[in-house]
Amino acid sequence: MLQKKVCMLGSFSVGKSSLVRRFVASMFDEQYHTTIGVKVDKKVVNANGEDFTLVLWDIYGEDAFQKMRMSYLRGMHGYLLVVDGTRRQTLEDGLALHDRVVAEFEKVPAVLVLNKFDLTDQWEIEQAQETQLTAAGWTIEHTSAKTGAAVEKAFLHLAQLMLAK
Amino acid sequence: MPANSIFESFLAGQGYALFEYLGDGEFRLIGGWPPWCANIWDSQPSGDQRIGLADKSPFLENFLVDAEEFWRASSPGAVNSGNWIERGADGREIPLEASARSLDGKRILLIHNLSETFGQQQQWFQTARNSLLEHEKLLKEIQKKEILLHCIVHDLTQPLSAMNGVFHLLGGENLPDALRKYVKAGERESQRQELMIRGILEAFSSDLATQQAREAGTHEAPDLLACAEQAIEEFSPAFRERHIRLVLGPHAAGPRGWRVVGDASRIDRIFGNLLENAMRYAPKETSVTIGLQDQDGFVFAYVDDEGPGLPPDQRPDQLFALFSKGKSHAGKAGLGLYFCKITVERWGGAIGAETRERGGSRFWFRLPRATQTAESKAAAAARGKSVDKERPHKNKKAEKSLRILVAEDTELNRDLIIELLNKRGHVAEGVADGRQALVALEKQDFDVVLLDEEMPGITGRQTTAAIRRREAGTGKHQIIIGISGHATQDDEHRFREAGMDASLAKPVEVKTLYKAVEAAAQNLHPGAAGPQHEADHNVAAASSAAPPGTSANSTADSLANSPADCEEVVTHLRRTTGGNEKLIRSLASTFLADAPKALARIRSAVAKKDAAELAGAAHLLKGSLAIFGAPSAVAAARNLEILGRADSLREASAGLRVLESEFALLQHELRRINSERQPKVKSRSKPTSTRKRKRAR
Repeated sequence: MLQKKVCMLGSFSVGKSSLVRRFVASMFDEQYHTTIGVKVDKKVVNANGEDFTLVLWDIYGEDAFQKMRMSYLRGMHGYLLVVDGTRRQTLEDGLALHDRVVAEFEKVPAVLVLNKFDLTDQWEIEQAQETQLTAAGWTIEHTSAKTGAAVEKAFLHLAQLMLAK
Repeated sequence: MPANSIFESFLAGQGYALFEYLGDGEFRLIGGWPPWCANIWDSQPSGDQRIGLADKSPFLENFLVDAEEFWRASSPGAVNSGNWIERGADGREIPLEASARSLDGKRILLIHNLSETFGQQQQWFQTARNSLLEHEKLLKEIQKKEILLHCIVHDLTQPLSAMNGVFHLLGGENLPDALRKYVKAGERESQRQELMIRGILEAFSSDLATQQAREAGTHEAPDLLACAEQAIEEFSPAFRERHIRLVLGPHAAGPRGWRVVGDASRIDRIFGNLLENAMRYAPKETSVTIGLQDQDGFVFAYVDDEGPGLPPDQRPDQLFALFSKGKSHAGKAGLGLYFCKITVERWGGAIGAETRERGGSRFWFRLPRATQTAESKAAAAARGKSVDKERPHKNKKAEKSLRILVAEDTELNRDLIIELLNKRGHVAEGVADGRQALVALEKQDFDVVLLDEEMPGITGRQTTAAIRRREAGTGKHQIIIGISGHATQDDEHRFREAGMDASLAKPVEVKTLYKAVEAAAQNLHPGAAGPQHEADHNVAAASSAAPPGTSANSTADSLANSPADCEEVVTHLRRTTGGNEKLIRSLASTFLADAPKALARIRSAVAKKDAAELAGAAHLLKGSLAIFGAPSAVAAARNLEILGRADSLREASAGLRVLESEFALLQHELRRINSERQPKVKSRSKPTSTRKRKRAR
């Protein structure tokens, strides 16, 4: 079966592992468990009438303590750039990470995931900013790993973009 | 057992698995097959059986690229994969790390099970990242509280502006002595309240320290002796009332004078706080003495009283702690001495208190002497206009009459400022917003423009930008003074950046108002090259008031449960108007006619997600709602104002619904009040009746 390598990128505590867990196992844990290193999961999906395996690389969130190894991204077919919508800084950090990825690798499909959309009262990403990002070519999904909202949609959206490439 | 076998068994026991790379992603096991390998990759391969690790683990497949490169280069040492996690057949997660090495010409892959140390490592990272998240949360909380504080202070200063102005105007009237005494008391108390509000703002304002550090050494050095004399002049009447003598102690008129690092207005307040403190504890028929002494590079100032001295069970430094009120609780909020401490320490000084040997207490502070530059600057200023000491007299007319435009959205404040300026001999006229100010300036020239910061449509700063754009290249420079309700030095800095020439804090003090307007106008030289401020941002288009989308009828159901607010409205109006039916009706009519427009502006701002417009419109409506003492409605408007200021509009729609509901309740109540009172009011509302009653009182 066709396999597509998908990397989960973004700052620490934005919900990358939670999104994978929700997508693969339909589970969510309220407590934050930081990821050290890389965890690889697989899930078979159907997009455009075709079954294929998404190989999901959940890569630790970058911060002052851990810098990401770009070698982990080698051979990826697409990535989800995950941002915590309640922490504006994670968008800026995520976009900076994206710039580094673009500089080093051939362009691949990506989806900007604004996660924790269940916490709307703490939301810090302005509509105007989203509009600008959309205008700049970003595909944006508002997800909640907690409720499961739009999680599958985000992965499938990326799958479709990868297949279309 | 051969040595090699012992070594391989040892490695397996320590959680290592050793492989030789055969090419094409395949390996041969060297030594033992640890249990964790079996858990992840099934049973032990037999003999020389090839193991396709790259097929079994996408992570290893990826690492193999780096490993092959390493082996090809015959580099010394090893290349590591970094940590990754594999899931075992039993569902457990097993943390691993691989390293590629070359041994005796063989390509070796060593995989280490990190289970023993991984937990510890994860705990460290978890703790560190949790701390970072907590830190982020804390910063956000601080930011929110600062915004809230600024809003509260702004709300508190608005009515105070009016009070100060009213007392000042009354003081200028020909009043009987008994009444004049009450007016003076009212004026003094409203000024004291103003000092307290400013104290709260400054004590908590986080930007103050930076701002003042920037200022130190660059502005006019204040003269501590002049400040002490000023304090004595201001406080003597209050001390006299309590039969306490307030005197200036002996001090040598040193050749270096008494110029120190600091800010004159704040030193005035430090003396004020220390004197208020002394006044509370000094017995009748005793003296309170202010003195100054020269101390190597510092000026030492003290306030001595002849009271009971410091409480024996309290350390002197505790007196200067936040919210410390002393044992007798004779003080107020416990902010005064705290303010003194943080202010003096920011200037590189110190403050303290002690019980004097001869009885009584001494509160003292020490400030560094001003640098030569600051002193000469101050001296130059003194030789010139002596602006710092110039204190215009209340009833004195200005030397030159100025044409002044006052742009302020709160009608009462606007009228008061105009009245105060006209009393001074100037010709002032008012407009309600920035757009009207621009129109007025097109029609005629004004010497000075006073602009409130927060006005509907375009703000004071945006209006300034528009004025400066018009002036560009003409050689003209309109004197503009900004009025801010927040009164921080950061506001002043922002005003200057926006192109304003000076700023005034609300509540606007009469003396400060005259001083600012007249000092600014003194610098006016038509045609002279004033600072040309190129506008760098567009003036926001004022949004037209949309027709109200939700009428009071939409919340008719909730009106049936008419809450306590409505009762409160009636009580509040009766109390504030002294039961003046005509005034109540007039207030209600004005609100019913105008407030829906303000609400429409808020709706429009929420729909357009225009945070600045929302803050301005909610601010305006909040002021109107407060007149009727409708706390829930005021709170709803304040909430929207805060959301607008914080540029956080996610909850704005929900907030708007609350406001609409509260607004409808008030609207309903006011309509009822109007209809119920109409006949009675008609019978009493002859033009002169109100005036007659007022006179009789």
